Amino acid sequence: MRLGLTLPAGGETKAAITAEARGVAFVHVVAAPGTEAAVAATVVAVTSAVRVLVGLGIGDENPVTLAEDVAVLDNLSNGRVAVLANLGGLSADAAVEDLTLLRASWSGRPVRHTGERWRIPARLPGHRAPDAVHVTPLPAQLAVPLWVTGSAAAAVGTTLGLPVLAGRRGDIDATAPVAPGRAELSGSLDADRDEVSGWADAGATHLVCAGDIDLDDLARWLIPEVAMVAFPRVVADSPLPRPWPRAAG
Amino acid sequence: MRFGVGLWCLQSTAATPRGHVRAYREYLEDVALADDLGYDSLWLSEHHFYYDGYCPSLLTAAAAALAVTRRLRLGTGMLLGPYQRPERVAAAAAELGHRYGGRLDVGVGLGYRDVEFDGKAVPRRERVPRLLELVHQLEAATGDGSYAVWLGAQTQSGVARAGRLGHPILLSGALPLDVVRTLAGVHHAAWVDGGRRGGTRPRVAALRNLWITDDPAEQAAVLDWQRASYVLYQGLGWTVDEGDAGAALDFTGDAQRAIDTAVATTILGDAEHVIAGLRDVAAAGVDDVVLRIAVEGAPQEAVHELMREFAARVIPVLADLEGSPCDSA
Repeated sequence: MRLGLTLPAGGETKAAITAEARGVAFVHVVAAPGTEAAVAATVVAVTSAVRVLVGLGIGDENPVTLAEDVAVLDNLSNGRVAVLANLGGLSADAAVEDLTLLRASWSGRPVRHTGERWRIPARLPGHRAPDAVHVTPLPAQLAVPLWVTGSAAAAVGTTLGLPVLAGRRGDIDATAPVAPGRAELSGSLDADRDEVSGWADAGATHLVCAGDIDLDDLARWLIPEVAMVAFPRVVADSPLPRPWPRAAG
Repeated sequence: MRFGVGLWCLQSTAATPRGHVRAYREYLEDVALADDLGYDSLWLSEHHFYYDGYCPSLLTAAAAALAVTRRLRLGTGMLLGPYQRPERVAAAAAELGHRYGGRLDVGVGLGYRDVEFDGKAVPRRERVPRLLELVHQLEAATGDGSYAVWLGAQTQSGVARAGRLGHPILLSGALPLDVVRTLAGVHHAAWVDGGRRGGTRPRVAALRNLWITDDPAEQAAVLDWQRASYVLYQGLGWTVDEGDAGAALDFTGDAQRAIDTAVATTILGDAEHVIAGLRDVAAAGVDDVVLRIAVEGAPQEAVHELMREFAARVIPVLADLEGSPCDSA
């Protein structure tokens, strides 16, 4: 199971740099509506390897615009972006429409969409415009990973075949190719070992970790804990080897 | 006079193909160099649904640059205001302005391409009220001035609107200098007529095409790059449809004339020639110049060389230009 870190508000870049250095699989950007892509861009600019899960509010803005924001972010990051679409209180039908348009915008196909909420292109009177648009640039990745959360997430996930971020271990589908979960860590090693192990045992593939997290502890004890069956804790519990005397910091 | 560089569009064109990942990687290298060399600002440009991936999300691109620079201002020249929800743009600008010490210049413009309005499901006829609503929300969200709000305009009515509102303007590099002089005057007069909103005369910035070289082969290449960059405008269908510039800058009706007019603005020669040309620009009422050097075909190596040369040989000589002719008016 891969462990990721929810970045602290206001301290995203510093935490992301440390997370990348410690081998955390992905970082999770949570930002206010409208600021998600901008805040995530500050993270991708100061990192080079760690994957960046961007929490993205769905429902207020034209999905074409959101798709463009993510595409720019994905190119800035050399294809390291995944999206956690927060459906908020959108109905399942509304969320399905917005996400369908979002994915169509990343597809490389000409976009023609007519639904209850959006008509793209709008074919408005007086506009001399074609009957489809290509949304450019395309993301760097061949396909942008897209997960969902929110009140209608389960229904939307089923309809569109998208992973749903589970808030409880019991909601993990251990047979799904991607089954992400979200856990609040306490900062207590024993409790957090039990927490991440429990998610791994439930069949989660990715765990978004929030809460009181020391990244050194995460790297030393928790990532190894879920990287093999019956991790021999002695290798993490033993005293650390002496650092190189001339090492910086 | 403050000097910036522009316009970064992050494209992969038919004439200069490259991967977009490379375009964005080189952009972050470019902003780092501009920061190191002491340039005041670097400006981005926006379009949508164009084959070359012209950057559609300026605050996202600006945010990345702000994160890897220390002094450089990042400008949007222009964020096309009618296409986005104003509260989201204002929220993002406020967040970045707050995080990065006010190093953000939010330039906003109307947009002009029907395909963009239609693709965003926004009636073109609503573009002015939508832009003004965005300006209103940006003014409200900037609080203690965490970012500056600029307006992009190339017509007398547009720059007058900016002047009345007390906002600085960034003029196109395609405009002949006599048109720039007229627009700078209109901007200033409108600010005065509008009651001198803000209390301090808003600045007039202008993109200018220039290059320092006395090598004939390089001069020919530079003019080719400028020409190619304006063929892009022909493809986009840009036109200035009002006033003195309108007759000459119709990239849809008389593209060849428009391209020739734009390319003819290029200040091209050795450092002394460029310095003299920029003194003429200042005399036309321009406070700040954005060097239009990120143009079609110009390799990154050449752009970097120009940035170094200009910083070393031109900027120090023009230090006396802070304080434009308009300041005494």
